[in-house]
Amino acid sequence: MIEIINTGMLALIVDRGRYGYCAIGIPYSSALDQYALSALNYILGNDQSLPAIEAIGKGFSLKFNVAIECAITGAKVKAYLDDRQLQPWTSFAAEPGNVLRVEEMLEGFRYYIGFSGMPTLEKIINSYATNLECRFGGYKGRPLKARDRMQFSQIRKKEMNLIPDRDIPRMSPPHCLRVLECPETGFFTEESLARITSSEKRTVFTVSVKSNRTGIRLEGEPLTFRKEASKSIISEGILPGTIQIPGDGIPIIQLYERTIGGYARLAIVAKVDHDLLAHLQQDDYVLFKMISMEEAEDLWRKKLRQIYSLQPRV
Amino acid sequence: MEISRYGESAIRILFGDSINVDINAQVRKFYFYIKSLAKKEIIDVIPSFCSCIIIFDNRLISFAQLVSDLQEKEQEMNCVDLPDSKILDVPVEYGGVNGSDMGFVSSYAGLSVEEIIAIHTATIYTVFAVGFLPGFVYLGPLDPRLCVPRLETPRVRIPEGSVGLAQMQTGIYPFESPAGWRIIGRTKEQLFNYRNEPFSRLQIGDRVKFGQI
Repeated sequence: MIEIINTGMLALIVDRGRYGYCAIGIPYSSALDQYALSALNYILGNDQSLPAIEAIGKGFSLKFNVAIECAITGAKVKAYLDDRQLQPWTSFAAEPGNVLRVEEMLEGFRYYIGFSGMPTLEKIINSYATNLECRFGGYKGRPLKARDRMQFSQIRKKEMNLIPDRDIPRMSPPHCLRVLECPETGFFTEESLARITSSEKRTVFTVSVKSNRTGIRLEGEPLTFRKEASKSIISEGILPGTIQIPGDGIPIIQLYERTIGGYARLAIVAKVDHDLLAHLQQDDYVLFKMISMEEAEDLWRKKLRQIYSLQPRV
Repeated sequence: MEISRYGESAIRILFGDSINVDINAQVRKFYFYIKSLAKKEIIDVIPSFCSCIIIFDNRLISFAQLVSDLQEKEQEMNCVDLPDSKILDVPVEYGGVNGSDMGFVSSYAGLSVEEIIAIHTATIYTVFAVGFLPGFVYLGPLDPRLCVPRLETPRVRIPEGSVGLAQMQTGIYPFESPAGWRIIGRTKEQLFNYRNEPFSRLQIGDRVKFGQI
């Protein structure tokens, strides 16, 4: 068993997501940094479907009442097991009585804590992911709280494993997000589009305090709609990473909690940069760079090869 | 049927550009057709008012290949068995504490509360889409006399079961949630239950008949 002592700013249970139910409005609610989650399960020797804790902010701590392997991936943090400082993206063995503490954030925003066993959580609609807004899945449909406990089954002991530094992505700002055209890209003026297509005219946005797990709100000079363009659309399906522009012209990047939207879609973040969205935090600088579909597919294939290399060793 | 691409791994199929029952019926037919194919390359489908978004696994199939597969089989679409479109009766407590925007709707539309209720309960609405929240139904078409703008600033929280209006649509919030629609009443019908399949009581093409409690 483990017991949460402190949750930091927010900690919740996530997994790869709840797929296949968009037609009835059920969003994916997946881990925001999927690569970090894959890497976590890889270094722990877990099946890729296992859940983990996604946390933000320093101060997270938990107590082990079980001998189990543990690891932290995603944002680089200064963390300790009792007095021993832990290496990022590297597994470690915890014994009953040990306390894990995250003391400081070094780079990035969201970090993932996993264990070499199956937590006794209930699967809801095929997934362990927490739908925070509708209060189902994860740990009783809510964020973790101090004194919450989780039991584990099928605990495996294994040798220490790690992700080499070269495979840990950069998570520090400014964040340059590569984007692709969307159905309403043409709704915006040439001057506005130049801010994402032209290297000379590129402008910086900052991440707003109003961002959350549903969407990242930006601040900056508003984008302008063409005179003849409608400021909203007939609501339709939206994909994670879509940059929506409400009537005020200020972008919102959708994450994994909505299936339908009614705002014009300026662009969509290329899949290669989706995991980076997990690390956008208040006041960070964000730039957009329009790329071609060919380039996006090529970049994604390269990233997939990196993810495929994270298969459990037999 | 207008096919385009949306991101690396989705196809957007557009059937028209207005909110109406005929266009939505085509979307629905296409949605059930795609479902009937049970293709492992297709991860998810989002049908809505005028379009269907097909999310595919681009490790298993390319955009071009999937589009050509779909076009090749377009004729089969007319043979797909559509499920019956069921009608759900939804009893609503209109106005008062359950309908915080009833006053606004009344003055905006120039109608009495009784007239609003009579108009809202007179139509059998079609579920044009389910989304925004799990089990949230976008219903229409709404009688033009009840066409009201969305709230400028959405409410932070409205109770589960709230019934709202926005432009030419009406809808039901299955969860306590933020809301930008004008709330005129509340139902105790549970529209979404994550414990039991099919999870959502309503799907695209089903119909809803509101009644006053």
